[in-house]
Amino acid sequence: MESQLWMILLIGAGTYLFRAGSLVLGSRVQWSERTKEWLAYVSPAVLGALLGPLLLLNDGQWIPIKDNTMLLAAVPTVAIAWWTRRLLFTVAAGIAFYAALYYFM
Amino acid sequence: MSRRDRITLALRDGLPVVLAYFPLSITFGVLAAASGVPWYASFFSSIWIYSGGAQFMLISMLEAATAPATIIATILLVNMRHVLYGATMGPYLAHWQEPLKWLAALGLTDESFVVTSNRAAGGERLTPSYYLTIALAAYGSWIAGTLVGAGIGGVVPSEAAAVLGFALPALFLALLFAGERTLPHLIAACTGGGLATLAGIMNLGGIGLIVGGLVGATAGQLLGRKMSRPARN
Repeated sequence: MESQLWMILLIGAGTYLFRAGSLVLGSRVQWSERTKEWLAYVSPAVLGALLGPLLLLNDGQWIPIKDNTMLLAAVPTVAIAWWTRRLLFTVAAGIAFYAALYYFM
Repeated sequence: MSRRDRITLALRDGLPVVLAYFPLSITFGVLAAASGVPWYASFFSSIWIYSGGAQFMLISMLEAATAPATIIATILLVNMRHVLYGATMGPYLAHWQEPLKWLAALGLTDESFVVTSNRAAGGERLTPSYYLTIALAAYGSWIAGTLVGAGIGGVVPSEAAAVLGFALPALFLALLFAGERTLPHLIAACTGGGLATLAGIMNLGGIGLIVGGLVGATAGQLLGRKMSRPARN
């Protein structure tokens, strides 16, 4: 329990330093184009790296596609995100797709 | 524009974020309670971290019994994207007093960033009353939802909690596919996803996320440069 609180403390402190450090620095200095460019790709790369194992693996084991409820639910969820570009609506629709597959498969 | 008008405008602009945060943070509270996290830890997490993706990840990594150092390193790497937000917003706040900038940093989330940076990119001068109203409304919504979720978490059946567990991948998919999605962005995501999955199969755990993030971002940048070069010449 205590280790949970320590983790929250460190993650929160680090996140705040990222936010405040870059905001305060960014209000004073000009970042190099190359740095800004690279940073713009960190977000999709990390989101991809999070999604890959989350959707494809279960405890380090490959899930066969036909048994993979999360991956199947991800397909219409991506379509909704692509067309609506709305965060809340996409999450709600995704949960609805997953619930339907969860109960019918 | 008077101060009151700016606050009204902020509430209108911030409404979608406030409305999205409430159910999402309820889901967070429910999932945290379902995986045995006490309510005060969820509450502390929402007040102190205030980053949805990070908080959901923390629960799933605690459940998977990942090593604490790997959890912290992975989540901080994921949250490095906030450096981009800060670097982008910083110039718009150049005329602000120093303490207000440090306060504004607290509310620099994915969604608040999108709303306020759009407003600023439209040529509007960002005032503290506008920006901080959005930030505080969203923050309040996130904390209130967490408390509701943690409160009802104990009575939510485990099947419902399992279904709600898709909220995290759905949120990640939404952030990935509702944002910038040029070919280099998608290549960055696929490279990161491929490497992290490979590392998962090899039981390397959180290292895959870090390597996937770093290599994926570099791959995206290289492709982006390659694609923009002919256009520039």
